[in-house]
Amino acid sequence: MNNILIKQAEIIHPHSEWNGKRVNLLVHDGIIQKIGDKNFEASQVIEGEDLKVSIGWCDLRSFSGDPGFESKENMSSFAAAAAMGGYTAVACMPNTHPSLDNKESIMYVLGTARNFLTKILPVGSLTAKNKGEELTEILDMHHAGAVAFSDGNMPVWHSDVMLRGLLYLKPINGLLMVHAEDKYLTVQGQMNESKTSTTLGLKGIPKLAEEVMIQRDLSILEYTGGRIHFSHVSSPRSLDMIKEAKKKGLSVSCDIAAYQLILDESYMTTFDTFYKVNPPLRSKKDIDTFWKYLADGTIDAIVSDHQPQDTECKNLEFDLADFGISNIETAFASVHTANQKLSLSELIDKFALQPRRILNLSIPEIKVGALADLTVFDAAETWTPVAKELKSKSKNNPFIGKALKGKVKAVFNASQHQLF
Amino acid sequence: MQSQLSVKHLLGIKELKKEDIQLIFETADQFKQVLNRPIKKVPSLRDITIANVFFENSTRTRLSFELAEKRLSADVVNFSSSSSSVKKGETLLDTVNNILAMKVDMVVLRHSSVGAAHFLARNVDANIINAGDGTHEHPTQALLDTFSIREKLGEVAGKKVCIFGDILHSRVALSNIFALQKLGAEVMVCGPNTLIPKYLGELGVKIEYDLKKALQWCDVANVLRIQLERQTIKYFPSLREYSLYYGINKELLDSLNKEIVIMHPGPINRGVELSSDVADSHHSIILDQVENGVAVRMAVLYLLAGKQGQ
Repeated sequence: MNNILIKQAEIIHPHSEWNGKRVNLLVHDGIIQKIGDKNFEASQVIEGEDLKVSIGWCDLRSFSGDPGFESKENMSSFAAAAAMGGYTAVACMPNTHPSLDNKESIMYVLGTARNFLTKILPVGSLTAKNKGEELTEILDMHHAGAVAFSDGNMPVWHSDVMLRGLLYLKPINGLLMVHAEDKYLTVQGQMNESKTSTTLGLKGIPKLAEEVMIQRDLSILEYTGGRIHFSHVSSPRSLDMIKEAKKKGLSVSCDIAAYQLILDESYMTTFDTFYKVNPPLRSKKDIDTFWKYLADGTIDAIVSDHQPQDTECKNLEFDLADFGISNIETAFASVHTANQKLSLSELIDKFALQPRRILNLSIPEIKVGALADLTVFDAAETWTPVAKELKSKSKNNPFIGKALKGKVKAVFNASQHQLF
Repeated sequence: MQSQLSVKHLLGIKELKKEDIQLIFETADQFKQVLNRPIKKVPSLRDITIANVFFENSTRTRLSFELAEKRLSADVVNFSSSSSSVKKGETLLDTVNNILAMKVDMVVLRHSSVGAAHFLARNVDANIINAGDGTHEHPTQALLDTFSIREKLGEVAGKKVCIFGDILHSRVALSNIFALQKLGAEVMVCGPNTLIPKYLGELGVKIEYDLKKALQWCDVANVLRIQLERQTIKYFPSLREYSLYYGINKELLDSLNKEIVIMHPGPINRGVELSSDVADSHHSIILDQVENGVAVRMAVLYLLAGKQGQ
């Protein structure tokens, strides 16, 4: 491998002695070899108007499509898209076909993805086929490499399964990731329940459906102990409850989907299925609250919530179209473009450090001699995503054709690197 | 007075301006005269081919459109599919593209999916007329309803109109609310609370749960059909209880100290939401609605044909 120079880049990493300093950084054979003001000799140079370097970003929630939905995404397109989005590690949800609900399927993911730059971290199913009924062989999957457990985009229907799941996970300090939705309250739901849904005649998905489940799960957590992470929370009241629970000392964390910080329900008025997601896009006022809760730390992390859907599943009548946004390549740029509330360092915390803490992974270092696990990006560069240049097989990305600020220029992960 | 519609498609009342509605009414006035002549046919749409594409069962709307098209001398083709939910692989878009490949100029679409007409308008070239999309809009019904109110009471502005029944699942209710408000009427809805959308009040609509109070308030009662068979969830316990507390009968009307107009989009569940002695009484303009439906649809088709190629 050649020497690569990251030229005049500001280091954003609270654990690094170079944090906040603009320096040159030389990576040689996957190792950070030199950091300093000097102009190190290199065979390749990464430059930019406002270059930044942080540890590699880590996504807590995305869908690989592999196995079972390879027409939407397969492991290699998934990993390539993740790398383009600046991620060096990605937790993938178990809603594949078959589900990731046994040791073999966890080993399939790890085996298929072993040579990719971006590490794919499988999340095992909490229940068989994510049906919410019978617990899976959690310990077996844990030892095979599952980083957490979840039923992905299915809720844990039954209170007793939630209770036993948490009890069973506790001795291994296992993490339960929850999509909170009372499906009885969202039957045929298509979008946020509001004046807009009433005007459009679309069946609403009330925030209540999320809130009652979070309320239930927090009560169960208080009883059992253990750790819950609420994925893609979308209601201010849910966040109030999570904040309270944290104050009480419960082991609870949560994330928000990147697009939920930018897009609101007004995009639904043209019945464009690209904006059909679950939980649904909420109001502009809710978005303001989400940013507030990001800033005060109630929301721990920002996720891509990447859900690739092919055109056959999207270019349809609204109620027949599937939920989801393909977002892994644009998650950071879209949030960075909209951000007026957080410092860049706080933003990177939500994209890179917090996800690792939640998954109990070690935090990479930026110092001489450390293994390179880095994302290099130009915070000032504007770019417009073009469908054919995006690596995901699915193009259900509403940011295509829209100018975004913040471009990933390179990712490094041990012996591998990729420049963009 | 504008001479053309501001839209190329009739997707919903939401997209129309008040002036569009007035233009449709004035055009419909003329067609209504034509319909009462010995020779009921005009050559206005002689070179136009119209496809009536119905993915949901319909008798009167389809018949009314077909008659309107034939009175205008258009060529008409009909496509009906009884399976309301189109399976993937046999998409709405494919079906309609096939029909358009046969050089059709306008498509009248009924579909169980909200936004189906919008979806089509985005994807094909023809003029699209929404004949009902799921629980969203049914614009020609609202136009003929408000046209009938105008005919009966002289004008719509300032009138108090109450819509009774299943508001939650009703495209007729939503389109009527938009049309009535654009024309300056006051709107109330009345029905069991489970059938009234939570945020409806934010649309500037009054909400009343007491049938008698609502009838006392209104000049016009537009009574919707209760479709228990189409509800996947039970929103009220039984038809018996519904008709006891929300059914309108002669005795109730006689107990009011005023005359009100009774409307119904049809088909009526006699003895459920309306008793026969009300449906067939002098209060009722239900058959005028049906007659006006043809004239209003002729007006819509005629005016949209004027937007061909634009």
